[in-house]
Amino acid sequence: MLQAVALALLLLPAGGALVLAVTALSIPRAAVRLIGPGVVWLGFVATLILFADSLQNSTPHDFTYWTWIKSGSFTLPASLLVDRLSVFMCLVVTGVGGLIVTYAVGYMDHEGDASYARFFCYMDLFIFSMLLLVLAGNFVFLIMGWAMVGLSSYLLIGFYYWRYSAVIAARKAFVMNVIGDVGLILATFAIFAQYGQTTFAGVFAALPKSDGFWLEVIGFLLLVGAIAKSAQIPLHTWLPDAMEGPTPVSALIHAATMVTAGVYLIGRMHPIFDVAVWSHGAAALIGTVTALVAATIAIVQTDIKRVLAYSTMSQIGYMFLAVGIGAYGPGFFHLLSHAFFKALLFLGAGNVIHAMNDDQDMRRYGGLWGQMRTSSICFLAGSLSLAGIIPFVGFFSKDLVLGDTFSKPGAFPQALWVVGLVTAVLTAFYTGRMWWMAFWGSPSKERPVEHPHEAPPVMLVPVVILAVLTTVGGLLQVNALVPDGWALVSRFLSPVVGVVGWPPSPYDLPVTLGTLALAVLLFLAAYNFYGRPVWRPWSAAVPWLQRLLERKYYFDDLYDALFVRTMDGAASGGDKLLEEPVIEGLPTDVGIAARAGAGELSLTQSGYFRTYMLVFVGGAVTALVLILLVRATS
Amino acid sequence: MPDYGQIQVGAGTLDARLVLGLAFILFLLGAVGVLIRRNPIVILVCIELMLNAANLTLITFAAQLHNLEGQLFALMVMTVAAAEAVVGLAILVDIFRVRDLDDVDELSELKG
Repeated sequence: MLQAVALALLLLPAGGALVLAVTALSIPRAAVRLIGPGVVWLGFVATLILFADSLQNSTPHDFTYWTWIKSGSFTLPASLLVDRLSVFMCLVVTGVGGLIVTYAVGYMDHEGDASYARFFCYMDLFIFSMLLLVLAGNFVFLIMGWAMVGLSSYLLIGFYYWRYSAVIAARKAFVMNVIGDVGLILATFAIFAQYGQTTFAGVFAALPKSDGFWLEVIGFLLLVGAIAKSAQIPLHTWLPDAMEGPTPVSALIHAATMVTAGVYLIGRMHPIFDVAVWSHGAAALIGTVTALVAATIAIVQTDIKRVLAYSTMSQIGYMFLAVGIGAYGPGFFHLLSHAFFKALLFLGAGNVIHAMNDDQDMRRYGGLWGQMRTSSICFLAGSLSLAGIIPFVGFFSKDLVLGDTFSKPGAFPQALWVVGLVTAVLTAFYTGRMWWMAFWGSPSKERPVEHPHEAPPVMLVPVVILAVLTTVGGLLQVNALVPDGWALVSRFLSPVVGVVGWPPSPYDLPVTLGTLALAVLLFLAAYNFYGRPVWRPWSAAVPWLQRLLERKYYFDDLYDALFVRTMDGAASGGDKLLEEPVIEGLPTDVGIAARAGAGELSLTQSGYFRTYMLVFVGGAVTALVLILLVRATS
Repeated sequence: MPDYGQIQVGAGTLDARLVLGLAFILFLLGAVGVLIRRNPIVILVCIELMLNAANLTLITFAAQLHNLEGQLFALMVMTVAAAEAVVGLAILVDIFRVRDLDDVDELSELKG
């Protein structure tokens, strides 16, 4: 029964995508509206069934449907792993995903019929890929899901394929994701070479008890996969550009689900990372650095979606920090919380962008509070949650991560905590900046629409639902504020990922309240700079810093100089030295020689019978004379 | 003067050189005829002449060496000659249907 439900959960979105792909040119719009979100919601129902079962018992189900490959000692079962972690991820993917796909029904409405069907086809394909990724019971399925989410991300970023920047962004995202795919595949090779297993259970059972060279190599390669998919430094530059895709795509793939796959991977592979301490520490370090760097860049961005993109990188940095220090439960709670409030922020931004005729520049907004009240309230809930302000879910999850970092013994977590705290403060500031700039004050003189309309119900209801979830979601896990309070997410996941292995510090509560106070202060301080009719950007005083941040720490320029231009140079050099004279020239020369030769030879074809006969007889006589000569001399 | 041997003809014998010389003359006639004549029918006849010269050599050597393979091969050549004559004449008939032809040099449309 559950086995069939798990398979149905996986196949429903795949079927939806297939139907839409085959009929995209002829299917009526109403049917697309039904199928597109419908299969995701059916998947949500299937997930709820699995969820109800996993609440009852905590033992993982390893559903093997058939043996896919059997060759010598190598066996690969077609298996899905349904345990509390994968059910948790499926809830996020189908629940938040369902809301976003429903929202897209309204958001994408101005597209043509074929584009409309194509969009939902890609969305369902993505949902299927993501479910395959989180339900995979072996490394091969994991790689398949991992690569397919990259593909659907590529298709959706480049959805507006007639726009040059979208195509470039899609290609960039794909290339950087493939770097991660290669890391994951090499990790799988190393795992198979070392332990001879492909299923998660088999590998985890075969792991050595102490750290070693190969374990660190495997951990490092897995980490490469995780940071590429989750847009962490140094493989992060694709995510801001990915905002070229339609806003629901940014909400679903580049905020709520796909980019958190790296966190899922580290959580899923925690038996490896618990032993491979160096790779594990590297995950925490990379996450923390990314959190800080992305937060500083977000301060100077003017495109509302790019601010949200950098905040996504920053928040995923927190998740990496959490799973990197071994606080898996809090990390996944932050993943859930982030899925709520970041999807909310993106969809809210989508409403605004829609009302502003697709203008995304916050400097040209202003004064939306009075005109789009519902969207504004929802966006405010998301912003306060992102800033980490009570009682929104972001407060509980982020401060839980910071609290656990703070209380972990050792100098390394302490240092990470300091950076995390600075990031939290910066987050409050840039969130406040975004909020005051876009929604408060009086309308900008350059605003594209004088009297914006509130979004239609199909776009408003998902936003309101997410706003409610963002507001009350903190009640799931309150132990950031109440040390002995309940922690439903951590407890639910503890059979898979274990519990936090160190006691909370007695100073947790004062530190949490201090962070909260700072966040509130900075959120309000942003008003002083950006809430007034005339902005007084702080950065005017330090132009070099502003330029550094606006150029995104020159990562793009560095990669451009190091890789893109080097490769371009090598390619054009090869074009001149090899392609033109040899690969292109050789066949041409052969052709010219053949034509010239044929021109000369064709003169012998006189067409006269007697000529041919003469040549023939002459040849025969010559041959005869030669034979006779040879015989005479020998 | 090397001994080219005698061949058995009926009750008596014959010098093989005479027969081979006859074959050589026949072949030369045929070859020269093919080369210099223009009438297609005559060319076909000349080809037959060459084939028969070859046949004559074959059976001469067969008799001289007491080996029946030569005679067998002569039969084979006759068959081929018949077939060749049929094909050649058929082609000629087809050409004559389209146009009048008294010089094979007129058939030079396929020159390069």
